[in-house]
Amino acid sequence: MTAGGGETALAVSGLGKRFGELVALDGVALGVARGEIVGLVGRNGAGKTTAMRAVMGILAPDRGTVTWEGRQVGDRARLRFGYMPEERGLYPQMRTLDQVAYFARLHGLGPSAARESAQRWLGRLGLGERSSEKLVALSHGNQQRVQLAVALVHGPQLLILDEPFAGLDPDAVDALSDVLFEEAAAGAAVLFSSHQLELVERICRRVVILESGRVLAAGTLEELRRELPAQLRVKVAAPDRWARGLEGVSVERSDEDGVLLVVAPGTDPQAILSAALAAGPVEHFAFESAGLLDLYRRMVAR
Amino acid sequence: MRRGATVRLIAEREVRERLRGRVTRFVTVATALLVVAGIAIPGLIPSQPSTTRIGLVGGAAQALAAPLERAASAAALKVALSNVGGAAAARRLIGAGSLDAAIVRGASSATVEVEQSLPAQTRAVIAAALDEAHFRTALARAGVPLAKVLPALVPVRLATVVLKPLPADQDARYVAAVFVGLLMYVAIALYGTAVATGVAQEKTSRTAEMLLSAVRPQQLLAGKVLGIGVVGLGQLAVAVIAGLLANAVVHSAKIPGSVWAVMPAFLVFFVAGFTLYAFALAAAGALVARPEEVQTVTLPLIMPLPIGYVLTFLAVASPNATWLRVISWLPPLTPTLMPARIALGHVAWWEYPLVAVVMVASIYAIVTAASAVYAGGLLRGGERLSWRAALARRD
Repeated sequence: MTAGGGETALAVSGLGKRFGELVALDGVALGVARGEIVGLVGRNGAGKTTAMRAVMGILAPDRGTVTWEGRQVGDRARLRFGYMPEERGLYPQMRTLDQVAYFARLHGLGPSAARESAQRWLGRLGLGERSSEKLVALSHGNQQRVQLAVALVHGPQLLILDEPFAGLDPDAVDALSDVLFEEAAAGAAVLFSSHQLELVERICRRVVILESGRVLAAGTLEELRRELPAQLRVKVAAPDRWARGLEGVSVERSDEDGVLLVVAPGTDPQAILSAALAAGPVEHFAFESAGLLDLYRRMVAR
Repeated sequence: MRRGATVRLIAEREVRERLRGRVTRFVTVATALLVVAGIAIPGLIPSQPSTTRIGLVGGAAQALAAPLERAASAAALKVALSNVGGAAAARRLIGAGSLDAAIVRGASSATVEVEQSLPAQTRAVIAAALDEAHFRTALARAGVPLAKVLPALVPVRLATVVLKPLPADQDARYVAAVFVGLLMYVAIALYGTAVATGVAQEKTSRTAEMLLSAVRPQQLLAGKVLGIGVVGLGQLAVAVIAGLLANAVVHSAKIPGSVWAVMPAFLVFFVAGFTLYAFALAAAGALVARPEEVQTVTLPLIMPLPIGYVLTFLAVASPNATWLRVISWLPPLTPTLMPARIALGHVAWWEYPLVAVVMVASIYAIVTAASAVYAGGLLRGGERLSWRAALARRD
């Protein structure tokens, strides 16, 4: 597994975990480089949360390794990681600033540095005025922001965010994306999971697709597209019969926009174009640039 | 970060947040007030007069005054004699509480009237006085010169030699034994349950997963037990100091030196007992799915505490019973029963190392087992876990 950007900083390999009969992870490998945002997608139960928990040391995998910049990850290295679990949770009765500063201290910051950083993050996330209030007194959206502040307060080198966009309104989605872009630009490695694939497509350069505890595919959108046969849309002012029987070509579907052809690797598009021209005037001839949602569906269906 | 520093950080948060909460402040003040009230109120109630007030009804009885004074002085009983006009008046005075007894004397007999009971010593004094008066009258009638026989009327002094004397502070020791048993029971149950509740809150609010991304479960557990233990000790100290101050003001009870001497032992047994129970209760707290279930899972674990407290009464009644000695070595009963036995002063020297070894070994075993259950239970969602399920799923 190669990272798209620079050196792979987080490297996970051969990760396996069983819960009784259930195989949660079956040889998962993935990597995230510094400055890179990687999206982890897959249906519920595919193993995303278990993989993230294993990276964070919250559960011990049965096998496999997690390394950060070439070294086995231990408790010490994890203090430089920031985490947002899928099921959010902080002390409801604790004051916001105290809470964020407490988590900074647990990650090794000194008392004054922890408070300063907590204040800075709360201010940046628009909670500066609310910092002396208890968590329960805040709205759901603001509690989410506190959770984000807790994940970021100690200046982590790696962010592991489990469904960070779930339940956010569009403004909050933009704010969180901005934070992720900035953190990545500042050199952090970011791994997050999401079911909102159009969001993943917009934010991440690279994507890892998990299915039943295994990595189904990983890479940039371009790389993922290359793993699947290309899809070619052709519209000819003639019946679609012309496409049948062409070597290396099968008809995926045909509608008023013409035919969608699945083209086997190594097939010459010029041969297809010739066949189309022979059938009638060609109105449209272009390879489809499949979105992540489409790619995901085709890969899972394979 | 160093492991110890992390534990201290967790304990500090526990102490700070608890002191900030209203519940802790209320419990501290209420406990101190209860202790002060328990000491001050008995001290303020006027004690029963130590002088026995005897009314002498009619001339015949009034002739008993001198012999009564003599007999009372020989028996070291303080009496206050007064003359009463008639039996009806005497009864009224007894009923009103201004007389303890009234003597009505006939020709050859006498009656003592009391409200409810006549103490044996008072009865003996009155009988001696009656005998003396009767003797004098009889001798006078027989014409025997009184001067010759008076020496015969002087009571023979009877001294008692106690071969195995009870300690002078025996009563105070009984009170101290029962009190320390109660204190241990209440304090360990209260703060132990607070640990279970705190763990359950961290689990059910899902704070645990955030915490475990930075610290080991063992650190979290140790920090929580330490923090709540410190708050508990602080509250106990406030209550004890308030009680001592109240005692100094009202002079309710003289605290015997022997009780002061074993104070450090009480502290050691509180710390050991709290540690033993707190870890077990923390594991129980990690099993619940909802905070309301804490009571259900902790109750069976706490049961040995009230049992040990009840047994302190038996220890007071028969301090030398072998079976009591042996069961006070059982770790769940040790925190209540041993301090009570120490207060009673019936613990042999060799019991201390024995109990220390048993206690340390069982704390070690409980901490190990509880940490495993705790780590296994903390991140498990769904319904309440069995102990076995939590152990099987630890990571």
